[in-house]
Amino acid sequence: MSNPNQADIRMREAHLSEGTLRRDCRTVLVCCGPGCLANDSPAIAKALRSKIDEAGLDVKVHPLIKETGCQGLCEKGPMIRIVPDDIAYYKVSLNDVEAIVEKTLRSGEVIPKLLHISAKTGKPVLTLRENEFYTPQVKIALRHVGEIDPHQIDDYIDHGGYGALEKTVKEMTPDVVIEEVHRSGLRGRGGAGFPTGRKWKQCASYENSPKYVVCNGDEGDPGAFMDRSIMEGDPHSVIEGMIIGAYAVGANEGFIYIRDEYALAVETIRKAIEQARERGYLGRNILGSSFSFDLSIVRGGGAFVCGESTALMASIEGKVGEPRAKYIRSVEKGLWGQPTVLNNVETWANIPVILTQGGDQFRQIGTEKSTGTKVFSLVGKVKNTGLVEVPMGIRLRELIFDIGGGILGGRKFKAVQTGGPSGGCIPEELLDLPVDFDSLTEAGSMMGSGGMIVMDDRTCMVDVARYYVQFLADESCGKCVPCREGIRRMAEILEDICEGRGQESDLDLLLNIGETMAEAALCGLGKSAPNPVSTTIRYFREEYLAHIQERRCPAGVCRELTTFEIDGALCNGCGLCRRDCPTDAITGSTKQRHVIDQEKCIRCGNCVDSCKRNAVKVR
Amino acid sequence: MKIVIDGKVCEAERGEYLLTVARREGIHIPTLCHNDALPGLASCRLCIVEVVEKGWHKVVTSCVYPVSAEIEVFTASEKILRMRKTLIMLLAARAPENETIGKLMQEYGLEKPDRFKKENSSDCILCGLCASACEKIGAGAISTVHRGVTKKIATPFDDPAADCIGCAACASICPTGAIKVQDKSGTRQIWNKTFELLICPDCGKPVVTREQAEYLRKQMQGNPIEYSGDGTVRCERCKKASAADRFRTAFS
Repeated sequence: MSNPNQADIRMREAHLSEGTLRRDCRTVLVCCGPGCLANDSPAIAKALRSKIDEAGLDVKVHPLIKETGCQGLCEKGPMIRIVPDDIAYYKVSLNDVEAIVEKTLRSGEVIPKLLHISAKTGKPVLTLRENEFYTPQVKIALRHVGEIDPHQIDDYIDHGGYGALEKTVKEMTPDVVIEEVHRSGLRGRGGAGFPTGRKWKQCASYENSPKYVVCNGDEGDPGAFMDRSIMEGDPHSVIEGMIIGAYAVGANEGFIYIRDEYALAVETIRKAIEQARERGYLGRNILGSSFSFDLSIVRGGGAFVCGESTALMASIEGKVGEPRAKYIRSVEKGLWGQPTVLNNVETWANIPVILTQGGDQFRQIGTEKSTGTKVFSLVGKVKNTGLVEVPMGIRLRELIFDIGGGILGGRKFKAVQTGGPSGGCIPEELLDLPVDFDSLTEAGSMMGSGGMIVMDDRTCMVDVARYYVQFLADESCGKCVPCREGIRRMAEILEDICEGRGQESDLDLLLNIGETMAEAALCGLGKSAPNPVSTTIRYFREEYLAHIQERRCPAGVCRELTTFEIDGALCNGCGLCRRDCPTDAITGSTKQRHVIDQEKCIRCGNCVDSCKRNAVKVR
Repeated sequence: MKIVIDGKVCEAERGEYLLTVARREGIHIPTLCHNDALPGLASCRLCIVEVVEKGWHKVVTSCVYPVSAEIEVFTASEKILRMRKTLIMLLAARAPENETIGKLMQEYGLEKPDRFKKENSSDCILCGLCASACEKIGAGAISTVHRGVTKKIATPFDDPAADCIGCAACASICPTGAIKVQDKSGTRQIWNKTFELLICPDCGKPVVTREQAEYLRKQMQGNPIEYSGDGTVRCERCKKASAADRFRTAFS
């Protein structure tokens, strides 16, 4: 199919290959991912645009300003990048706009205060690649996120988009497509890690029609924003993946299920579907072939359990979002009892790359059994929070300390929680664990969809388990006994332990309920719900015992079990703790030892965080 | 195909549910949410069994597990018993005073759990049989509402249900007797709604609610239930007696 922008692409490629700084072909990429949006990045884009117009810069390639999806390092947002020079600016504010236009865009001069300072060398770095947050990253699913304008299909096409689809429908039979996906070793990125090629093959083997393809965009894990970033930053990669999948298994209709809280994702995908239809990538006789396929959006109602495949399908059918037993798989009887392939957003986004580059090329990345890359949202007590994509098999240590830059405020690493609320907490001694499907499961956690929450030594692991179990108590669909009643009783026991009513037999009881849930619950939510409890007991049993036997919370989090004291040998009487105490419980003269009045103290822990000498101790 | 359940060789059809096969063979597997007339809900999970297929052990719910290979099944292995006991303990924590659950506890030699709070206890174990039966009948007056630990069975917005016909099928199918139905002085109270009970003209006993009689008449067109001239309806016993009378007069 001829593309109206081909001349434009050739021109741009010519510019890029010259590798010189050419003022007339620069593009400014303004991150408009959720984090930067909240920090006013659209206003910055607008100001840049009007400043450039005012300055009368000679601009030949449009759009000069591109509002992109998430560029990754949310912690340092709003981010902008200037290409092809490859200059990355962080924490940009409206006040910086004039300087960026006048200095960088007009005279090619770099503004040092907006650059990233390397943690290793202490020197400012110019490009994204040189920033240690980005250096180890390999972008496949996120290949266009932060690079293109998600609202312009032409931008996607300029970056090679829909090339895989064209190749597929014009040159490949469905069997060959499935074989290629199979060869790539791609496993479902939604958490369970089922081989995608095998799933497609099974679905294709059933002859009944109609068949459906479904995209799971019901990302509900607290602190997770991988799928959201893809849907908002590169919607066409998901759509293209789904069209290819539909071609491979013989489906003519597809659904993208997006949680309703993701208003921006819904809007971006909606626009993208419309544009794809206008260009003939969706609809009847796609690219002149005999294959027809169309897509619609289904908006989820905000139930976490609807991220479970069978509950999601029930929800699309208009039923209550409750799972069913999966002894008959969805590839045989899924949506409306018909053969259905359901994959998550990230899985679909990987498909076009596999078809373009070939499965063998894809499996060069990652490990033998977990090929390719995985997107994580790295959050919690880590310096560089944000969206990262790394090859499978990377060590947790590398992810947290090199990319993440280590623990905030110079505190000590305690645990990392992978796989969302029903994942597990992994302790320091397992930091050299490779991040792949099987290693994480073996450690009692799971890959999940890619949430990664880093915790420091001010985190109480019993409290963490209590938090997740409480979350799941609200989100369990309540259909089966082990999940509904098990979570309820686990929450009750954990609350007792945190409030000083724990009993010696509680740990065994928790493990016993956990075992029954893991084996006898109806769906993945219930089966994995005990993970935060069982892993914290497995790796942090001492901490539980301190709560139960000594009625003490070593991390100083559980208020009923905490007493703070100021160590006289360490206190230099600086008064910071006194200043930060909300109840005036701390007294002492300057340069004299301070003391805490236990009657007034509400155990908020502000003093621990404000003390520079680590003099506030948990008794 | 042949499968082995607790050492006994059993004949099973492909696709047949394990529980059905076991029951036919006289092998007892406890259930609360199963009813032969309704599709499997698999919510109580008491019917879990251990299946060994090609050397792989897995725990499945026998009420919805279709036989598809020559498998060996253990309905009361050590692991299954341990987990079933935990399930019964969890049910007992929810419904501490319930008779059905009490019997199960006795059967499995369990003491009443004393570790948990008694608040919010309920005889309803949320198996969903009542809502499923109501839907099957065609009334669809009740369903599960909310989710997670706050889930319950209710009419829309807890109001007297417009669609309820007062048939009390929900109460009769409930395994734990959790649904209250009160018949007194010619009326029935169920789901916050009061129904008039039609009285058998012959023996004076209440038969069905007026709404149920109307509903049945609509559903069974051409084969209406027997109305007397004054709009009353006979009970089963008197209906038989009156039919016998008619035969007697016709053939004597």
